[in-house]
Amino acid sequence: MTTRPPVRGNNDTGSMSPLPRTSRSIDPRIVIAGLIGGAATASGIALTATSGWLIVRASERPVILTLLMAIVSVRAFGMARPFFRYIERLRSHDVALDDLARRRTEVYADLIPLTPARLGRRSRSVVLTGVVDDLTDEVEAQVRVTVPVLSSIVAGLLAVALAAVLWPPIGLVLSGLLLVIAAGCWLAWRLETRSQSEVLDARAEVMRLSELVARQADEIRAIGGESTALDWLARAHDTLRRAVRHQSQGRAAVAALILGGTGIATLAAAYLAVRADVSGPVAALLVVVPVAVGDALAPLAEAMRSLARAQGSSRRLETLLDEQPAVAARGTETPSPAPHLRLTDVTASWTGERRHAGPFTLDLSPGRRVALVGANGSGKSTILAVLARHLDPTSGTYTIDGVDALDLDLTAVRRLIAVVDDEPHLFASTLRANLLIASPDAQDEALVAALTAAGLGAWFADLPDGLDTRLGTGGRGVSGGERARLGLARALLSERPVLLLDEPVAHLDHATAMNVLADVANATSGRTVVMVSHRPEGLDDFDEVIDLTPAETTRTATSTAQEN
Amino acid sequence: MKPFDPRLLREAPAARRPVAALAVVGVLQGISTIALAFAISALAVAVVRHHSLTIPAAWTVGLFLARAALTWVAERVAAWAGVEVTVALRTRLLQRWLTQPADERPSPDTAVVLAASGTATVEPYAARFLPALVSAAVVPTLALATLIWVDWISALIVALTLPLLPFFAALIGNSTQADTDRRWAALSALSGHFLDVMRGLPTLANYGRAERQVDTIGEVSQRHRRATMQTLKLAFMSSAALEMLASISVAIVAVTVGLRLTHGSMTLMTGLVAILLAPEAYWPIRRVGAEFHSAADGASAITDILAALDEQPSTLEAPTATELGVELTGVTAGYAASTRPVLTEVTLSAGPGLTVVTGPSGVGKTTLLDVIAGLRRPSTGTVATGRVHYVTQRPFLTAGTLREALTFGRPATDEDLWAALRTVGLDGLVARLPQSLATPVGDDGFGFSAGQRARLALARATMSDAPVLLLDEPTAHLDVDSAALVHDVITTLADRRTVVAVTHRRELVALADQHLHLTPTGAELREVSA
Repeated sequence: MTTRPPVRGNNDTGSMSPLPRTSRSIDPRIVIAGLIGGAATASGIALTATSGWLIVRASERPVILTLLMAIVSVRAFGMARPFFRYIERLRSHDVALDDLARRRTEVYADLIPLTPARLGRRSRSVVLTGVVDDLTDEVEAQVRVTVPVLSSIVAGLLAVALAAVLWPPIGLVLSGLLLVIAAGCWLAWRLETRSQSEVLDARAEVMRLSELVARQADEIRAIGGESTALDWLARAHDTLRRAVRHQSQGRAAVAALILGGTGIATLAAAYLAVRADVSGPVAALLVVVPVAVGDALAPLAEAMRSLARAQGSSRRLETLLDEQPAVAARGTETPSPAPHLRLTDVTASWTGERRHAGPFTLDLSPGRRVALVGANGSGKSTILAVLARHLDPTSGTYTIDGVDALDLDLTAVRRLIAVVDDEPHLFASTLRANLLIASPDAQDEALVAALTAAGLGAWFADLPDGLDTRLGTGGRGVSGGERARLGLARALLSERPVLLLDEPVAHLDHATAMNVLADVANATSGRTVVMVSHRPEGLDDFDEVIDLTPAETTRTATSTAQEN
Repeated sequence: MKPFDPRLLREAPAARRPVAALAVVGVLQGISTIALAFAISALAVAVVRHHSLTIPAAWTVGLFLARAALTWVAERVAAWAGVEVTVALRTRLLQRWLTQPADERPSPDTAVVLAASGTATVEPYAARFLPALVSAAVVPTLALATLIWVDWISALIVALTLPLLPFFAALIGNSTQADTDRRWAALSALSGHFLDVMRGLPTLANYGRAERQVDTIGEVSQRHRRATMQTLKLAFMSSAALEMLASISVAIVAVTVGLRLTHGSMTLMTGLVAILLAPEAYWPIRRVGAEFHSAADGASAITDILAALDEQPSTLEAPTATELGVELTGVTAGYAASTRPVLTEVTLSAGPGLTVVTGPSGVGKTTLLDVIAGLRRPSTGTVATGRVHYVTQRPFLTAGTLREALTFGRPATDEDLWAALRTVGLDGLVARLPQSLATPVGDDGFGFSAGQRARLALARATMSDAPVLLLDEPTAHLDVDSAALVHDVITTLADRRTVVAVTHRRELVALADQHLHLTPTGAELREVSA
């Protein structure tokens, strides 16, 4: 049934690398930081080794002056470790933060053509919050994984080289120790990776139930659901316990392997050193080197957990960013300022696999007001997405003033249409800045007029700082109804001739919802309006109410439940 | 903010065992660390002096393997403790909230932060910081005690230099505190910026303003980098300074040991033990300092949670049971914020049958039901009622399957469910759903219309065995036919139970046995037609 394959904008085909992002080459600056970290780790090993040598040599009661060189080295290594560590941490964090800045702009720019159709059908802000966290995890891996791994390799190889120079068989023993540690790391990484999603899911479920009880304790108590809620919580906690127990196997395994390996290596080194053709102090040095190596490489256990987490994050990011934009951006013509929209036998799909809406025909002459109602899954929001040019039709035609919408300039078409969804975002900024997004050049009077038209007149009058009131995170809290109305105020302010409202009152209680809808009706007269709603109520002011529920289930409003 | 608040163990008894296990494993690890210093020294001496290696080698390997096993156990115990402490606190907190009236609980947003992200930060605190705290308490003490026994001069040096560590840490902390505080607000604003524009991406894209943000993001992120680096520089510098201090202290021990060895006044064994033990006195203290930095969130979350749990457990006194009915005497109630009570001097006596409550908007009808249900405490007057099932105006349907939503609060067989759905006329609809009772329901009953949601909530109410049923606008969203059906259900329910319904519908008022009309100044009982 797909007659029109998803089309990519022809000018951005090169922007996405075919290689998975995890195989990006390592930043040379982080390699340098890793080498400096290696110097710090190696200094720690050298400190233990030279101390061992020094003590044994001293016990041979030489002239003190002959020890001076060793005393100075012990001091030097003791100072070098914190010094190199300090430099490494400064550099690696600076590089990681710089990389984070670059990746953030990159990912943000990559997401724009995917917005909103590819960000999921609901709760897009949750998806986007996930992107922010995943990016941080991915970039942090440079500090938490690349640097410790490089440092360990550098220091480990230096130790092997030192031992090999002094007595080659012990160089072999140390190589063996490094291999055991590497195997332990691999095992830990496998175990961590395997339990990763289990732990994440378990935590998410615990968070969901905590939020449920924290927000709706009254509703739960009202129906006597306390024990059900606590049962659910207990079950989620049990799952979390199990998941964390699985996850802890990885770290436990590598930590134990490092210590066990160190013990065996020390034993082997002692038996070899006693037969070695070396002086007593050097023999002592060779015995303590494996201990120092084991100590210095212990942080690898933690690095493996970070690696597994970062890889999970990278995979999620990749999956999202590898999506194709849902709309073609090949058109060039410009539509008229009072557009006549028409859908003819349009079907559409979010995934390309199954049809989510249509075939559907709708004629929207300028100023016409249509409400789309119907059960979840009947395709209301999908139709709206096609009209908004968020999603290309799979078949049928969408024309604007008689011209195929796909032949029109995408940006120009979108500029005609204001979309109000059920989660308008309020930025951590002033009320003025939040409104100016819709119309950058608007004067304060226009802003106040839009607020009043959206039914926020009284609310605005009560604000202590007027348009300078800070909203969003850290600012003044707003209720769900106020938020929905602010979304509407933005749309009104934009003066776009077509208004698409996607469940603008989905999260509001009945009375508030009715009030908001009444204000919508008053404020939007003269514009073309299409509103999607679950509720059959409050639609008296529309020219036409279209029930999209498939015929066989029309009598009772819901058909299939899941769009997602 | 205390590193460890013993009230934690009192308030969350389930956390006692894992925390005790942490302590035991920590002590055993400390002992094995000290013993290992002796074994390695003996091994080195045996190698140097060409003595038999068998005994020291056996000890060394044995102790390493013991430490390996202990570390394995320690990692598992730490993870266990992390989960158990978190689980115990969260469970206590949510249990508490499920017994408190709304005005005694923190606001929903605060509650979510406390129960979700707050308890989550407790996990690394318990899993990482507590073990570090145990080893900081155990290992230096053991190392110092052993040194006193082995070589008192080294012990004296350690004892004199060790206090310098916390002293310098405090000194550095104090001198940078003002600077850190000053930067904190700016830093959190900068770091929040990206999340804000990211979550606002659909809104920005909608108005064609997203591209403009790309450069801003780069610029703000770079400012964030510079500000963060300023703060990190101080933190890294202070940790490097402390490490240098420890390193110098160990070097002093080493030099005195070396001098005494060349002088012949000390054995090699003693010298090696002293030099291996000295660092053990310093690093656990440095580590606990570093870990505390990342556990600070968890520690302050624990303080907040304990404070929330500590508040007088003024849980609702169980409403005096009057078997089946509702008795209100002179009930006045209001919101703490507004001075004028919402409800004034309401007296009501309702037994089995239907009592309807009417009145203009904002007159306190819902508040009245809240008070009867025990969700809100009256400021004066008394409430006596049997067990209550209360269908709120915005029906409570949580995400999950339809079956889960309907059995929330009371288990029921599928047969019962179908019977209940039949009563409210939804059996046909549900039967046609491809997944039937297993159909996923979204948050807030997403996927069903308001009228369907109201009827689902009523279906659940019919399955409740509570003698008192409260209904807030049960038919507000329904068309005339559905409303008539639901009114029938309500009158059937009222045959055996006390039903109190708030309504605007005249049809329902007409069916009532008792009619309470609320006005802004009080309440009056009206004549009923029946």
